[in-house]
Amino acid sequence: MIQFFQVTKRYPGGQIALERVSFDIPRGQFVFLTGASGSGKTSLLRLIFRADVPTEGQILVNGRNVSSIPLQKIPYLRRSIGVVFQDFRLIPRKTVFENVTYLPRILGTDLSSRKKMAYQALRRVGLAHRLNAFPLELSGGEQQRVAIARALINEPEILIADEPTGNLDPDLSWEILRLFLEVNLRGTTVLLATHDRDMIHRVGRRVLTLEAGRLSSDQELPGTEPPRLDEPASERGPELDFEPDVPPEFEGPGFEEPE
Amino acid sequence: MSFLQAVIYFFREALVNLARGWKVSLVAVLTIAVSLFVGGAFLVVSGNLLASVERWRGEMRLVIYLQPDTPDAVVRTLAAEARGGPGIASVEMVSAETARRRFQEAFPSLSDLVEGLGDEPLPPSLEIALSDPARRPPELGPWLDAWRRRAEVSMVDDDREWLGQLETVVAVLRAVGLALGLGLMAAALFTIGSVIRLTAYLHSDEISILRLVGATEFYIRGPFYAEGFLQGLLGGLLATGALWGGSTFLRLRSPEALLTQVLAAEPLTVAQVAALIGLGAAAGLAGAISSLRREQLTVTEEPAG
Repeated sequence: MIQFFQVTKRYPGGQIALERVSFDIPRGQFVFLTGASGSGKTSLLRLIFRADVPTEGQILVNGRNVSSIPLQKIPYLRRSIGVVFQDFRLIPRKTVFENVTYLPRILGTDLSSRKKMAYQALRRVGLAHRLNAFPLELSGGEQQRVAIARALINEPEILIADEPTGNLDPDLSWEILRLFLEVNLRGTTVLLATHDRDMIHRVGRRVLTLEAGRLSSDQELPGTEPPRLDEPASERGPELDFEPDVPPEFEGPGFEEPE
Repeated sequence: MSFLQAVIYFFREALVNLARGWKVSLVAVLTIAVSLFVGGAFLVVSGNLLASVERWRGEMRLVIYLQPDTPDAVVRTLAAEARGGPGIASVEMVSAETARRRFQEAFPSLSDLVEGLGDEPLPPSLEIALSDPARRPPELGPWLDAWRRRAEVSMVDDDREWLGQLETVVAVLRAVGLALGLGLMAAALFTIGSVIRLTAYLHSDEISILRLVGATEFYIRGPFYAEGFLQGLLGGLLATGALWGGSTFLRLRSPEALLTQVLAAEPLTVAQVAALIGLGAAAGLAGAISSLRREQLTVTEEPAG
């Protein structure tokens, strides 16, 4: 699914972000990417969705060589990859609905379908009731869940997260992590960058460790207390339903697409 | 997303942006309106002046004044000779007596003035009509110069000379208007470009997200192009409205005044209106395209981890 072959990334100033990094993440795997600040985690993630190009080496995403994709084709690559950042990157002047439905709107999806998609994505992160709220009316954890809903709305094959719990307290971090694990259970390949080693050891899974731009280890951890995913997240509601019917209030006049 | 859907989306977003930043947008709209108004006003004025020149050309006179004491027989001989000149349709002999009578009819209050002078005070003349006043044969000029040098001739009065000077003035006026209009248009393009760049900067967070989720450059830039187009269109409409309002006001207020005849005798034609509005819209679009081409709308993100 994601393959790095001897990838080196050198920035114009001469700073080496990654050096001869190679790994292979198969479809459907959940992988932690860890390392100290400045170890190259963000640089590595940016190469996957072609925000940057490697100086040397090859990167294959879903069998396609990312470095050689023409500029005009990059948007199509990105539509198959959901990305979540530490700082949420929500647009404060747009409602939750608008923030979540950027991609369906780009694709020309009609309003009715966008409503259903937004509802389903927000339901998965337990925020279906905050559809018309603005980001600044939400807590940090809620904002991150909206960002995750935005990344998930088109059912991407790959979900990339760069320190998604970096701005959250431990309890909220755990909730967010559960969401990523649930997404992975549905078949999405997840690559989550974090420097929270405690979280990694509790959850387990495959862990790639970067040190000064080099891949220092690639190991499978068993996990000391992996979360029980059959229990619903506290804020989601009584039941986790991945294919919910849209309630009538989402079809009525009270739900208008904001300008 | 179909092309039509995209265009509708672009214009909807552009209208929202215009409404949100209406003060800044107003500056851009007014700048382009002023440039089009000035350029358009020069165009209209020079057009009206040229129309007046054409009208006057039809009424143009060519008169050869003879010496006061020229005998009638000589006048007749000279008239016969003049009839053979290039492009001449007819020659009317005006004797000194006829000239005096015309003067008295034209200026009755000054009638006594010429009566008291004894001999005929006004010279006989030859009034020449050209077969096509708008297109003089090239030989006419040398032919008139030859007449000027003759002893029997005191003066050759050719309206064409001052009409030619007027045509030069109109040409200069038109060139000045064009230069001024182009200069102002360049300023308008710069202003629109700056406004679009500012809007793009204010939306850089959204552009970053759009790029992240897979929006194409066409989709990202479309709303900004539409915004520039709308600013130019509004500027063109304002300029056209002001020109139309100004000329209508002049025609209603004093339709016979020379100023009205020169500045606003003819209203703006549909083609001129369409050209001004189209030029405004095109300028707005060009300003937006050039500003975003330089800007490239690049969202840089420093590597952190």
